[in-house]
Amino acid sequence: MRHVEERQELGGAKPLTEPVLLILASLAAGPCHGYALMKDIEGLSNGRVRVSTGTLYGALRRLLEDQWIERFDQQDTSREKQAYRLTMAGRRQLECEVERMKQLTRAASARLRTKEA
Amino acid sequence: MNLKAVYRALLRLFPEDYRSFFEAEMLDAFGRASEEQRARGLIAYGRFVCTELAGLVLSAPLEWIAKTTTSSSIRARSLPDLRLMRPAGVPREVWFASARTMSAAVPDEIAEAERRVEFCLRRMECAIATHDFQGARFYSNEDLKARENLRLLRAKRGPSQ
Repeated sequence: MRHVEERQELGGAKPLTEPVLLILASLAAGPCHGYALMKDIEGLSNGRVRVSTGTLYGALRRLLEDQWIERFDQQDTSREKQAYRLTMAGRRQLECEVERMKQLTRAASARLRTKEA
Repeated sequence: MNLKAVYRALLRLFPEDYRSFFEAEMLDAFGRASEEQRARGLIAYGRFVCTELAGLVLSAPLEWIAKTTTSSSIRARSLPDLRLMRPAGVPREVWFASARTMSAAVPDEIAEAERRVEFCLRRMECAIATHDFQGARFYSNEDLKARENLRLLRAKRGPSQ
C-alpha cells in the first residue's frame, strides 16, 4: 500500500510504473513486437530492468485497453510477431511523464545545489 | 518435458480470451529470449527461467482479477469477448436458428436488431481472419452495442421475445 498521496497534475496524468514508462519510451521510436520490446527495454535501462513475458504482455494488454498503444499490421506480421505502436494518447502520456520527471529532477538538483552552497 | 512445454502449460492458468490473443506471441518471445539467455551461460539461463516461470504464476491471478473487474466493453478494446462469439465448430445457421424460428413472430425492430448482431459478428470474424485487429475491435464494440440494444428491446417486449 502506498502511503503517499499523489496529486494528479499535468493534465490529470498519473505517474507511470517503470515497465509501462519503458514500454512507451521504446515504442516512441517506432513500432515494435514483443521480443524486440523486451530487448529494447533492457537496453534502455542499461540492463537494469528485464521484464518477463508475463509482465510485458500484462502491461501491453492494459495499454491496449487504455488505447495508449495499438496493434500495427506490418507486411510480414504473423500471429507470433504482432507489432505494437504508440497512439497519440500514449505519446501525450509519455510526454506528460517526461515533463513530470524533468520537473522533479530540476527541483532535486536545486535542493542539492542549495545544500552544497 | 522441455521448458517450452512447461511454459505452455503455465499459460493455461490465464483467461481464455487473453490466451487466444497473446499465447502465440508470448511463446515466440519466450522461445527467442530463451535461446539468447542460454548462450549467456548457465547462471543467466537459470535466472531467466526462474523469472519467466514466476512471472507467469504471478501474472495469471492478476489477469483473472482484471477480467472479472473490467467492463466487457472496455476489455473488448484489447481482447475479443469469447462469450459473445459463436463457438468453433457450431455452424452459423445453428447458432442463429432460434432467432430465425422466432423471426416470423418477432416485431420488425427486434428482427432488425438481430440482423445487426449477426452482421457485426460476421464482420468481426472477417477482420480477425485478415488480421485487421483495428477493424475487429471496432466490430467487437459494435457487436456489444447491438447485443445490448437487442437485450433492451427483448426486455421491453417481455420474456416471450
